Amino acid sequence: MDILIGSLVAGILIGMILALVALGLTIIFGVMDIVNFAHGEFLMIGMYTGLLTAKATGMDPLFTLPVSALVGFLLGVVCYYAFIRFLMRGPMVAQLLGTFGLMLFLRNLALLIFGSEDRALHHGVLVGKSFEMGMGVIIPATKMAAAVLSVVAFLAIWLLMNRTKIGKALTATALNAQGARYMGIPTEKMNALAWGIGGASVTVAGALLVNFWSVNPFVGILFTMIAFAIVALGGFGSVPGAFFAGLVVGMITEIPGIWDFLSYTLNWDWMMDVPMTSFKYTGVYLAYFIIMVLRPRGLFGWKN
Amino acid sequence: MEKLRSAFDFSDFPPLDLSIAGIVGVFLLVFPIFPHSAFAMATMIQFLMFSLYGMGWNTIGGYGGQVDLGKAQYVGIGAYTTAVLLIRWDIPFWFSMPLGVCFAVIWSFIIGYPLFRLKGHYFAIATIATSLVLMDLFGVWEFVGASRGLEISPIKYHPPDFWRLIFKEDIYYYYVILGFFFLGILYVNGFRKSCLGFQLRSIKDNEDVARSLGINVHWAKIKTYAIATAFVSMVGSFHACYIKNIEPEDTMSLDISILIALMAMLGGAGSLWGPIIGAAVLIPLKSYLKEWLGAAAGLAGIDLIIYAVIIMLISALEPRGIWGIVEKVRRRRQR
Repeated sequence: MDILIGSLVAGILIGMILALVALGLTIIFGVMDIVNFAHGEFLMIGMYTGLLTAKATGMDPLFTLPVSALVGFLLGVVCYYAFIRFLMRGPMVAQLLGTFGLMLFLRNLALLIFGSEDRALHHGVLVGKSFEMGMGVIIPATKMAAAVLSVVAFLAIWLLMNRTKIGKALTATALNAQGARYMGIPTEKMNALAWGIGGASVTVAGALLVNFWSVNPFVGILFTMIAFAIVALGGFGSVPGAFFAGLVVGMITEIPGIWDFLSYTLNWDWMMDVPMTSFKYTGVYLAYFIIMVLRPRGLFGWKN
Repeated sequence: MEKLRSAFDFSDFPPLDLSIAGIVGVFLLVFPIFPHSAFAMATMIQFLMFSLYGMGWNTIGGYGGQVDLGKAQYVGIGAYTTAVLLIRWDIPFWFSMPLGVCFAVIWSFIIGYPLFRLKGHYFAIATIATSLVLMDLFGVWEFVGASRGLEISPIKYHPPDFWRLIFKEDIYYYYVILGFFFLGILYVNGFRKSCLGFQLRSIKDNEDVARSLGINVHWAKIKTYAIATAFVSMVGSFHACYIKNIEPEDTMSLDISILIALMAMLGGAGSLWGPIIGAAVLIPLKSYLKEWLGAAAGLAGIDLIIYAVIIMLISALEPRGIWGIVEKVRRRRQR
């Protein structure tokens, strides 16, 4: 029983962070109908930014979040004006392969600058500390803080999208770009803003993630695929959808661990040959495939 | 017979194209006579393999407009079928290759049926997901060597072994894949003029209109997907015999899938020569950049940075690829 509750809590915590990773993707997709393959690479840049600022200034990594957010915002805006703007004129194939090129570019730039070895953070107020919740549930403080901040970021984005004029303009651009342009909304700027917000939210997620996840230049693709799965499950373009789908996907990644534990305690020898934990992310891809086929709009989707 | 004649009929191309194609074909036939390095030979074989992959992708992705980013799973199925059959039961290439194609086509039907209900981005990402699931499965399946992969050891056989396709010199492999290459061109040439080819192009232009004309859109897409799969799986089998060492991380990685799609797009998707042009540009570029910059200068990643910049420029500036530029120039001249 303990392991079940422990896995559940761990799944929810990681799910909240994964939801923040997917948030940027869903905003960008919602506003401009473009799938960003370089999303995981934005996350990787966020992780390096968090790591390097923390190391350079000696501050706790949690206080470097504004730096990461700024870097992410600028990265998104620059990518939009320098590159994505030109992609939007072409067909869908060009968009897919273009963002794939961006991904390859950022990944190898990081490889050239930082080298291929794993880097991790070993200092900080929260690193290594944990809360004991009773019943064998232990929550690492870094994960707890990341989950709480992720919820805060979600609330902020939700408020921005639903309670401000900028949010209304973004939604209008998403629904009908041409109509929005007639109403005097600078859609070009709105697209750039969507990329900026998307970039900022994912780099913040990266800076939170680096507290307990080591970083190397190849870390991106796994998170890109997870983010795709979350966005598909939650519905392309839906902010609350991304949050709930993140929780679900977080729990899916915990299922193989529970399964292994069960087969170990029940002595199912035939199950022990291949530990299910090697399928940790396969379940996520499979879930993506099944959701897409059964309900392409996702659970909360409003775009077809 | 009618189909055969149509496959050999290139008369709708301008004479300039045909003479260039003829010169390139003759050059490919006599290339091994010229003095060349082993590296150049390996690059040429890679070029022929990838242009075949590209031709396969072009049937569904170029003529049909369905962006498939999961072709690596079929490379894997073909390669693994050949390797497993050869290692475990000593079944030669010429039997295991058709068997691999059968497996790949069956798998393509299984996943193609639900997949083709999706469109656009959704379809593209779902093909990636299936490819990754299959890669993870092969990564833990002990029967096919799990993540260590399989190795065909050439010591057991007596090269040159034409039956099992085990050779010491690359030149044999070169002529085998060159044969496949010419057959592939003939097949695609017949395909683009067949009923299915025209149906696909109309689906690409406007799916609703195609459906209203009585075309079974879903079935046409699945059939073409199976054709594309057969191409890819065939070359995958060859890949197993040529490389002799296959691992899931290597043979079925996302990079291979994207490279296949990229090549067809760079050359010009939806044209007969497009994938060949794309492969002729990208493969030498990739391997020589790696040789000169990556390995020699000790700058890890710089070859792929240049490569990525080329991808970005092409997709932003001329999404219809090199063949698109050629056609634009021609149209301007006609006026």
